Amino acid sequence: MLLTQLRYDLLMFSRELFYLVFTVFVPPITYIFMGQLFGDTMYAGNLSYAQTYTPSFILLITFTVIFFAFGFDQVTHRTTGVEKRIRISPVSKTTLLLSSIIRSVIITSIGFILILVIGIAMYNVEFHIIELITSYGFFIVLNALLLIISSAVYSFFNNMKSALVFSIVILQIVILTGGFAMPINLMPTFIQTIANFNPLYHMNTLFIAVWNGQLTFNNSTVLSFGYISAFALLSLIVLGFMNKRKN
Amino acid sequence: MKVIEVNNLKKSYGSKNVLKGINFQAREGEVIGVIGKNGAGKSTFLEILMTIKQYDAGNVVILEEDIQSLSINKLEQVRKHISVVLQPTQFYANLKVEELLKLFKAYYNSPMDVKKIMADFKLEPHRKKYFDKLSGGWKQIVSLAIAFLSEPRLLILDEPTTGLDPHMRDLLWTYITNYNKKTGGTVILTTHNMDEIELYCDKVLLLNNGVNEVFDTTEGILKDGYKSIHEFYISKVSI
Repeated sequence: MLLTQLRYDLLMFSRELFYLVFTVFVPPITYIFMGQLFGDTMYAGNLSYAQTYTPSFILLITFTVIFFAFGFDQVTHRTTGVEKRIRISPVSKTTLLLSSIIRSVIITSIGFILILVIGIAMYNVEFHIIELITSYGFFIVLNALLLIISSAVYSFFNNMKSALVFSIVILQIVILTGGFAMPINLMPTFIQTIANFNPLYHMNTLFIAVWNGQLTFNNSTVLSFGYISAFALLSLIVLGFMNKRKN
Repeated sequence: MKVIEVNNLKKSYGSKNVLKGINFQAREGEVIGVIGKNGAGKSTFLEILMTIKQYDAGNVVILEEDIQSLSINKLEQVRKHISVVLQPTQFYANLKVEELLKLFKAYYNSPMDVKKIMADFKLEPHRKKYFDKLSGGWKQIVSLAIAFLSEPRLLILDEPTTGLDPHMRDLLWTYITNYNKKTGGTVILTTHNMDEIELYCDKVLLLNNGVNEVFDTTEGILKDGYKSIHEFYISKVSI
């Protein structure tokens, strides 16, 4: 049953142009475009554009896939009555949830490979097997955390239009304050302050460090890990509360 | 054989008491219409029978199982025997009719042939169409075809004919009554169309102010001197 559900979940994702544009097309094109503009620039930690922005854009694809195709999709199903119809069917919640998670992991992994291949082909990204495996493992952890956060955030929405507006606004905020557009230290002070409250900024910083084998445990990284963990824990509490309220 | 037995069912939303002690029974092969004005609790009552809504007090036994005390796994076993048509009918918008039927066949682990179901419901010309692109009537027909895929013992229909033109309404009722005759399955439905109740239902449950004010056979109600179920409804329910 899980394989059947997964097959149809992937089929539905591939047919949703809105998801495809924002998840599979826009981030790689932006990655290429920014590389043409800032390809020679050096960034924090003495890292090149490719070393900094390859993990960043993999994370950005992960964020867009999970927030649009997982979180926003939940609101769509809830508000249109699909969720109710499926709930009446004898398919277990675990099967549906597992299928959604595996779908997200498959699509974001395709994003991972896509950005990596573009990076290797255009920006001489170096390929070290151990660091790549470590980075992929960390990427899966980030996937799991984002799935929890997105489920909690979208559980508040009972209206598709407001969820759509929120998604588009949050995408802009995440890009600006997550360090995906340009380094946060070059941004105005208020953006730098907001960035500290954006879990994606902390995820991005940690992922860049893991990708380049530069992760060390200091005050800054411990703070980032702590903030992300606290955010995920709060999301789990919200999810529990919302589920209880629904029943 | 009793398919449903409900005793003293109570349900409230905050301080609003929607169901204040419903008693109800349905036997194998019966077609029962649940009527009442908007907000009378019809949908809440049906959702409890669909096993997707919790209730505050009372007993609900479906297919000999007390649903309040069932584990999730047991509940899924009961749901295998229940099918529903909701209003409005919604399924995954990006799946085609044939794909939807195949997916639900897998959900219900049904031995029925999807091609035969499509032929029975005259869905062949629509099999490659996305569900979202179908007219309201055909959406209801697809929903009914999906409902029959599982050969359910209990079919619950929430305003199945709302918004349908007379031809589609007739077609839908033909399928429902044929199913009922062929399988002996029990049908419970809500509708605001009292002609449908009179034409097709064996029994009527009138929900008013949170209680089952009348639960009788259609024949019995008409024998009480009402010219039609419509007249009965108008006399019993105030605006």
